[in-house]
Amino acid sequence: MSAPKPIGPRRQRVLDALAHRTPDKLPVDFGGCAVTGMHVSVVAALRDHYGLDRRPVKVCEPYQMLGLIEADLREAIGIDVAPVFGRTNMFGFDNTNWRPWLFNGLDVLVPEGFRTTIDPETGSTLIYPRGDTTARPSGRMPKDGFFFDAIIRQGEIDFDHLDAEDNLEGYTLLTEAQLDAIEADIAAANTGEQAVFASIVNTALGDIAFVPGIDLTDPRGVRDVADWYVLTKARPDIVHAIFDRVVDNGIENLARIHARVGDAIDVLIICGTDFGTQTSAFCSVKTFNSLWQPHYARLCGWIHANTTWKTFKHSCGSSERFFESMIAAGIDIINPVQCSASGMDPQMLKDRYRGRLVFWGGGVDTQETLPFGTPGDVRRQVLERCEIFAPGGGFVFNAIHNVQAMTPAENVVAMIEAVREFNGG
Amino acid sequence: MARCEALFDAIVDGKIADAQTLVGERLAAGEAPMDIIAGTLIPAMDEVGQLFQDEEYFVPELMMSGRAMKAAMAPLRPLLAAAGAVPAGVVVAGTVKGDLHDIGKNLVISMLEGSGFKVIDLGTDVTPARFVDAIRTHQPNILCLSALLTVTMLAMKSTIEAITAAGLRDSIKIMVGGAPVHEKFARDIGADGYGVTATDAVSVARDLVSVA
Repeated sequence: MSAPKPIGPRRQRVLDALAHRTPDKLPVDFGGCAVTGMHVSVVAALRDHYGLDRRPVKVCEPYQMLGLIEADLREAIGIDVAPVFGRTNMFGFDNTNWRPWLFNGLDVLVPEGFRTTIDPETGSTLIYPRGDTTARPSGRMPKDGFFFDAIIRQGEIDFDHLDAEDNLEGYTLLTEAQLDAIEADIAAANTGEQAVFASIVNTALGDIAFVPGIDLTDPRGVRDVADWYVLTKARPDIVHAIFDRVVDNGIENLARIHARVGDAIDVLIICGTDFGTQTSAFCSVKTFNSLWQPHYARLCGWIHANTTWKTFKHSCGSSERFFESMIAAGIDIINPVQCSASGMDPQMLKDRYRGRLVFWGGGVDTQETLPFGTPGDVRRQVLERCEIFAPGGGFVFNAIHNVQAMTPAENVVAMIEAVREFNGG
Repeated sequence: MARCEALFDAIVDGKIADAQTLVGERLAAGEAPMDIIAGTLIPAMDEVGQLFQDEEYFVPELMMSGRAMKAAMAPLRPLLAAAGAVPAGVVVAGTVKGDLHDIGKNLVISMLEGSGFKVIDLGTDVTPARFVDAIRTHQPNILCLSALLTVTMLAMKSTIEAITAAGLRDSIKIMVGGAPVHEKFARDIGADGYGVTATDAVSVARDLVSVA
């Protein structure tokens, strides 16, 4: 256990930023996890732009169709983070045995388990849980679309007669083979060159990307996203029971991983549940503090008591009202820092949370500026955000959420060049 | 047209079974369907909207009240149709082509229905041609277009262009909404109204109908 932790300048840069010290340069992440990535079409366009080997890009996260940013492109962009993903993806099949697939005219690579059919009525692409085409499909991509969405496979719900166990399928202890794979992948990433960013155990508390159970052959329980939101109000006892078990299971798995890899991990994503909307929130702070915060506190408490890992929380939208509660629960890093949402002014965020919360994101707006602005607009916004967020550390550059399909390559390049300019070329 | 406090509370508190029972009791007591709606149900949904604006209510509460409203309306709808009652307005709503998200759209629909509008829901991934057909078929006062994704909001523009090309643009008002949509975008693509939230959409719809 306790793999040595080599530290080169790039990893040190991230560690300094996480420790709220001024790093030598502003650290950069793209592709570190499933909420800081790029659509596969964007990755392909960047490979072309930088004149890298012309080869189909691997779809490393099929739900959002994110492209794998390989070492050569990481180098070209100047990325300071190395990702470690679990080998099984969101649709429940392994990212192995890659094969070609034509995606809106673009040659990409998908795992063997990526099995699809075309819906004859709508022309949309259907994908199957665990690659099992005898099961009901669990995802749908509209004709000419860019991502999958969950197919809700749930009947009528009787809120008076629910069993938390139904929503806990898949939350199991890792097998020895899975632990071996995680250990090997972390060892491979732990070169010292870059900070190790791990997405290895599902400890998400009510993330609506996971609620429908798109990896399950025949999910039970509350799987309709609207019903899930109602559940949080109508049956908090059931939600607590689910979260208790998710955290129990998560801690047990993380303890077993820690016993093998020690402090080789730098950053661990713990949850992607969105609490903010564009202008408001999905719940009150009071509800957050009663329903979510105790569970985050228990999870982060174990992590901080037993490891050096930093905890990374994703929450889109107008989330600032929850930051104090998140900090109190032991969350170290917030993403995607959606400055375009209400109450998320960058300067206010920096002033209010300096030294207490790391902003991992917020670098450029992916709803307006990056997809629809000019390269000049992108440069201006990136430089402005860097000027605000970078002083004193506590900032890792990333766009606000994944870089979306159809984003012009020249704008993505303008973003990368602006960070380089901020870093002194 | 007195307000029934128990029914009002059932809607505001999102109690489906209570709402159903109480509407049944009001009908049995001889209250006219339109009086139940105008006197109690619409004020209750207005109260829900206000609580949402004041951030005392959030998405779950909005959904629960919407479901209670829907349950309350179920026995009233056929009676209204039989009596030839005129709704506050007719709305066709749908999520635009390429986008499968419907939570926001469904919230808007539930708030509009709770405010006396008749809504025809076309679902998700609706092509411009289907919107055009629906306008011809239902002759709505308002068309509501929803999109959650940056990449699909552009389909709002092509939908409005298709409606214009079909010669139907002057016959309806068009509202747009969804997370990435904003006022300037709405103006740029030629929409008549933009709702920031589901409750905001009701105010916009009321304004559009009153000036139509």
